[in-house]
Amino acid sequence: MDMRAPAAADAATPRDGRRLPVGGWELALTALLVAVVAGFGAAAPGFYAGPASLLGLTENFLPFGLVALGLSLVILTGGIDLSVGAVASLSAVLAAQLWSRFGVDIWAASALGVAIGALLGLLNAAVILRLGIEPLIATLGTSFLYGSAAVAAAGAAPPSGFPASFTAVGTGTLGSLGPLAGLVPIQLALFAALAVLFSALVARSPFGRVLVMVGYSPDAARYSGIRTGRVLATAYAVSGAMASLAGLVLASYYDAVRPDMGDVLLLTAITMVVLGGISIFGGEGTVAGVVVSVLVLGFLRQGMLIAGFSDMVTTMLTGAILLASIAAKNLFNRRGTGLANQIWATIRRPEPPRANPN
Amino acid sequence: MSAAAARPAADPRPGWRDRRELVLVAVTAASAGAVGIVNPGFLTVENLRFVALNSVVLSIVALGQTLVIAMRGIDLSVAPLMGLSAMVCGLLAQTHGLPLWGAVGVALAIGLALGTLNGVLVAALNIPPIITTLGTYSLFGGLTFLYSDGTQVDQVPPAYAAFGNAGPLGLPVPTPVLVLLLVTAACWFALGHSRFGRAVLAVGNNAAAAYNAGLRVAVIRIQVYALSGLLACLGGLVFVCYTGSATVTTGTGDHVELQSIAVALVGGTLIAGGRANVLGTVLASLFLSTVLTALVFLQVPPIWYSAGEGLMILVAVRGGTRRAAGRA
Repeated sequence: MDMRAPAAADAATPRDGRRLPVGGWELALTALLVAVVAGFGAAAPGFYAGPASLLGLTENFLPFGLVALGLSLVILTGGIDLSVGAVASLSAVLAAQLWSRFGVDIWAASALGVAIGALLGLLNAAVILRLGIEPLIATLGTSFLYGSAAVAAAGAAPPSGFPASFTAVGTGTLGSLGPLAGLVPIQLALFAALAVLFSALVARSPFGRVLVMVGYSPDAARYSGIRTGRVLATAYAVSGAMASLAGLVLASYYDAVRPDMGDVLLLTAITMVVLGGISIFGGEGTVAGVVVSVLVLGFLRQGMLIAGFSDMVTTMLTGAILLASIAAKNLFNRRGTGLANQIWATIRRPEPPRANPN
Repeated sequence: MSAAAARPAADPRPGWRDRRELVLVAVTAASAGAVGIVNPGFLTVENLRFVALNSVVLSIVALGQTLVIAMRGIDLSVAPLMGLSAMVCGLLAQTHGLPLWGAVGVALAIGLALGTLNGVLVAALNIPPIITTLGTYSLFGGLTFLYSDGTQVDQVPPAYAAFGNAGPLGLPVPTPVLVLLLVTAACWFALGHSRFGRAVLAVGNNAAAAYNAGLRVAVIRIQVYALSGLLACLGGLVFVCYTGSATVTTGTGDHVELQSIAVALVGGTLIAGGRANVLGTVLASLFLSTVLTALVFLQVPPIWYSAGEGLMILVAVRGGTRRAAGRA
């Protein structure tokens, strides 16, 4: 954030000065994805047992991806939402209670659950905007509140044993796809549809432009007449809705709800967003990158678990990949004046001066 | 407090800010008194000793966090570091009979080494602090898991238990409280009354300006993250001595990283950097311990404890961070 001189120099020159050897971050991630899938397919017996089982692996990690999609919008605005895990738990628990105690239809209860998630997101936005509290702290505080509420709402014996049509969302496949019948998990279809929607929203819609602009420079956005408050509120509401959707998918996958079941979502989802190339400072990145990074991290994790590594070692590797990739990105972009960049600059031969067209 | 002198003006409500310690003391005393009226058992010497002792580990860890936040950084990895230190020291003591002074050395060495790693990643590789420590959170947690190899600490030698619970030389004050006083004094001096502290606050206020003014920003960053790691590991050692136990979820299970941030902010340290309140951090931690113990005495169901914590964060931070500065 400080001392941006080299980056500024880059911005002044044409974009052919880019250092990334492949076309972009998304391409690099895609190459990594191919390497991960091919590598585990060749080296870990059991990883690839036909296309259906390979696609079936995604059922284990797509709830993280759903959270990551919603979180992407928030991080693009330069904010953060630490409450996604608690929102996922609370709205899934509430939806399940509506179904089991009040006899609401499971699908209506699910729709209400997503609405509750959006409301919780709006509450986050209200705390941030009305009380003027930094997003990190605001959502930290509300995550404690939502977490307690989830425990209270779950009671001693949280509901389980949902109707088969509901649990099919978490574990079933699409049946009516002709030759692809039984191949595509419903989770994957849901994620793919939302991924396309979010990608189009951010990259192609006026709202997406405004979202990125608010993240890039909130002041500039405000001075250009954008109602930044509304943009932020929308982003947090969408993040809440996506978190609750992930909670419901988890409920369907496990055929039960638990008040702490969303806790695992947060750190992995942030990792997915950041590895996907969205700047933690906002205003930079694409949803396409996040989608690929969800698949990279998800398949990597599943592959390592199948190869017999423990959960913790897998988590360690995820952390190492996050650090290595951001470090590599910074170096390739010649961002900032970290010590490594200075050493890099002295080792490298100075570039020949560019021909001045004037 | 005195650290505030480094940043004159620019604060919308200086009166409220300057009284933060007083407010915390008053609120803590008032809640303790109120609970004492309902349940006199709260105000016994044993219980107050327990309340104080119970706040020590979080206070020590949060002091490191205070230094980092003052520099406009954030350190999520304190929780797994605390757990790692508790696990390594505890297992070495339990299975190899490592003497206490050896454990102190081990804890400090781990903290210094891994804290420096955080600092190097932030300062040399330019990775934003929240990302860096998110990554090392997983790494350090994994180290604890690998080192423990499925075992856990459930019994520490008598010397450790005495260090964690009794007072030295028969003094009535428990040793951890004395350690905390020492650490607090050191941090208070370092942050408010030394060149190092000035430099830390300057970097937190405006890193580019600090750099242009000739401060070695990268070196300062590495030092501060190293200190945070050091204090997190000291906290872990105190924890294993005090409780006599350590598992793979020590630290991370209680979300010490979030608690330490909360306590630092409630204490009056600004998330945007440039201002820190060392005493406030310790008092806020004491307040948290008071409230949590009081809830037990008032027979509030434990499920609402974390809601109380959340409310405390929002109420205390309200209005304190109006500046739209990034979190970094």
